Amino acid sequence: MRGKAHIPETTLALYVPGDLPLWRRALVRLHVARCAWCRQMVDVYRSDRARLREIAAEMPESVNWNKLAAEMTANIHVGLAAGECVAPRRRKQVSVGWRPAAAMAGLAAVLVCAWWLNMPSNTTQELGRAFHAILTGRGGVNTFPARDGRGLVVELSSSGIDLRENGSLVFGVSQDQAKLVDVSASVQGSASARYVDDKTGQMTITSVYAQ
Amino acid sequence: MRSRALLFACAFALAARAQSLSHKVTLPADSPVTLMAVDWGGTDATARGGAFFVDVRASLSLRNSSQKRVRAITFAVLSQEVTPGGKGSVSVPSLDVAPGDVFPVGIDLRLLRSIGGGAAVEVKLDGVLFDDLSFFGPNSLQSRRTMTVWELEARRDRQYFKKILETAGGKGLQDAMLDSLSRQADRSWPGMQMVRGRATVTDPERELSFAFLEMPDAPIQATNGIARISGSEARAPRIEIRNRSERPIRYLEIGWIVKDQQGREFLAASLPAEVNLAPGRSGQVAQDAALRFPERTSIQAMTGFVSTVGFTDGSYWIPSRASLNDVRLRRVVTPSPEEQRLTQIYQKKGLNGLIEELKKF
Repeated sequence: MRGKAHIPETTLALYVPGDLPLWRRALVRLHVARCAWCRQMVDVYRSDRARLREIAAEMPESVNWNKLAAEMTANIHVGLAAGECVAPRRRKQVSVGWRPAAAMAGLAAVLVCAWWLNMPSNTTQELGRAFHAILTGRGGVNTFPARDGRGLVVELSSSGIDLRENGSLVFGVSQDQAKLVDVSASVQGSASARYVDDKTGQMTITSVYAQ
Repeated sequence: MRSRALLFACAFALAARAQSLSHKVTLPADSPVTLMAVDWGGTDATARGGAFFVDVRASLSLRNSSQKRVRAITFAVLSQEVTPGGKGSVSVPSLDVAPGDVFPVGIDLRLLRSIGGGAAVEVKLDGVLFDDLSFFGPNSLQSRRTMTVWELEARRDRQYFKKILETAGGKGLQDAMLDSLSRQADRSWPGMQMVRGRATVTDPERELSFAFLEMPDAPIQATNGIARISGSEARAPRIEIRNRSERPIRYLEIGWIVKDQQGREFLAASLPAEVNLAPGRSGQVAQDAALRFPERTSIQAMTGFVSTVGFTDGSYWIPSRASLNDVRLRRVVTPSPEEQRLTQIYQKKGLNGLIEELKKF
């Protein structure tokens, strides 16, 4: 159970004078409210701190306050003068104009155009699924177990037949104008998809061969 | 200057897309069908890596120039015949094309071709099946066997529905159509991968035996069978068979049904095999292939049934409608292409349209 773990003493030491960041301070406060041991440690640090303040307030009698203040003021002036000598040169502000942005946008448009013209739609869909899987953390690209590197794989699903090699699509059957009514496989290395043309009612059977 | 560079880049992108693609339709000189027109409208090739992806989208218009009615036709679609992924086929079953009539064949698939030698695609007639079950064509894709079985199934199913119409009337036929549509909609399909060749399996394997559905009229009896199971993969099926008919058998197909951990059954694949089995002799069907299911699937049981038998005299046996009415088979077996076509006609044209269609045969 995590309730048994205590906050490190170094953290508690920083918490007491209020030196922790806001969110960590809130977490420590929550923990201290529930944990007797940590609360006790906080009380100990607080009392130590109060005692130190009291000791610090009692300055030695021999100290000449006027002389000490004059020395400190002189040291501060010397430090400021030295800082001016070694200060870095101000960098010239680089202004991001519209031209580089327009060039980048143009290049992006060309890349998108080239992808759209050259890549098959199912490749784009696969890329989309891959990004979705990365973003959601769910394996949406291929739910089949990855095994050995045996050549071509015939994949059947309710959307049709694909021929894949090393996970990449190399062959597809689509029949855009028709309705898929069945897919089947033969262990001799072929698969078939049946389509019915909505307009004519004609049945078409398309087969692919892995070998 | 910058705008010129952009224009050049756009032109380059367009040029990369446009590949010179040669295409042709090849029919034998004595072909019983004549090519009337071909539209290659959507066909193109895209270079990717060391290969062309050839998207073949064509529409053929063919005329039956024979004296017989055409029942089915198959075309091989080739971009590179010997390259895996370079060959596909398109078949049209359940046709009834009278001599002189024109009919369409649509092609829509993607092929692969290595980049050397340019992009090309050839659509080649593989076979034509006629109403007397005679065949024309090179048959390089075994289309004669496939189309003959489709035609026998079509005759069986048309006969079945005609008999229902005769005995139970329109209402009976309507009920049969609704039952078929319901079965087609209920068939579960979890998705699957099929791989040929030996596997390098690292997970522990177990052997799982097949159970067999008995079909009393089947010429083949499956007696024993196993497959090796590893995770969600089933591989290397091996089935013992016996020819219990009086004719020698040269071909058979066994349906492979898989049951998952939720009790769902589905027809995973068919196991075809060329055999040479004399009457009364036994043999073995073995395939070096694996079926992979999604990772969450656990294979609990397997069932086999004889789905097609081919005799040496060229005739075929297919299960009767009575055999297919087995409760388990009804759930998993795919209806014939003809039954699917008839149910589509029922959906589109209603009961009267279906009755008219059945009267044509």
